[in-house]
Amino acid sequence: MTDQADLERAYRRLLAWYPREFRRENEQEILAVLMADAPDGQRRPGLAQSADLIRSGLWMRLRPSVPRSARTVRAAVRLMYAGAAVSTVNLILLLALIGDVEIYHAILRHHLTAAQVSQVSTLFITVCILWDLVPIAVWLWMAQACGRGRNWARIVSTVLFGAATLNLTSAFNWLPPGNPFDPRPDVLRPDPPGAVLAGRPRRGVAPVAPRLQSVLQAAGLHAGPVARTL
Amino acid sequence: MILTALADGAQHGYGIITDVRDISGGQVRLRAGTLYMALDRLRADELITVDREEIVDGRLRRYYRLTPAGTKLLADEAARLQAHASVALRRLNLAGGMAT
Repeated sequence: MTDQADLERAYRRLLAWYPREFRRENEQEILAVLMADAPDGQRRPGLAQSADLIRSGLWMRLRPSVPRSARTVRAAVRLMYAGAAVSTVNLILLLALIGDVEIYHAILRHHLTAAQVSQVSTLFITVCILWDLVPIAVWLWMAQACGRGRNWARIVSTVLFGAATLNLTSAFNWLPPGNPFDPRPDVLRPDPPGAVLAGRPRRGVAPVAPRLQSVLQAAGLHAGPVARTL
Repeated sequence: MILTALADGAQHGYGIITDVRDISGGQVRLRAGTLYMALDRLRADELITVDREEIVDGRLRRYYRLTPAGTKLLADEAARLQAHASVALRRLNLAGGMAT
């Protein structure tokens, strides 16, 4: 009897992953099925059963509740989840690069010393992570609201998409000078690798400073010679 | 599989799980989370509906049955699979005949 009570309590905790309105309607029924399916003497849910309940509960929270016939709304919801996925990738890339102090040099344009960079880095990291977490949360929220047929969510997400595009555009300005996206013709252009290896810089260009070279390598950019800015 | 389990008549959740296991010869083991996710989608698509509710040993038991749309979908799908299976078997027999 105690085993049964323990097991039921554990299942109730797992069912908390489901949305409240779904639980209100189905919790007793699902519990009955879970208890009937459990072997005698079982006191805790199995790993696979727990994973299945958590996965299903999350899906029930995220799935659009509009009917399948509302295809444009469902497409909009899918795009919003794609927006959240892209923001997540952005955050992962940020976390992968964040430990590299050279990136701060690149972003802050060498205006700070290494000691100053180490002082501001904690704050900088925190702000960067929050800056990337907010759009993920907003995209998920918009997708949920849109999936429930809220028209305002589509308007807000359109504004969010515009802001994200502007953010992406401005992000290019944060890249080190001479990156492949830099439209200015008088700064770095990638040099043929052969010339770099041979140590014969082209006329009118100077070798990249060692520190900038390491910054470019850290940023995954080609570290060829940099042209003199006129 | 769930629609097939309901083709014989109304079933409750645990009944569907055991029936699917039998139909698949033990190869498919539906878990409760997956089952209720599928039931929710099938209800939203109006392929199944709640037939009745009972309280057994103090626990709620809800029975589901196919709607006319669910019956038609299952029949169409079964016919399509049968046609594919027939073609495959016929060609395999033909290939076997040529080989001998």
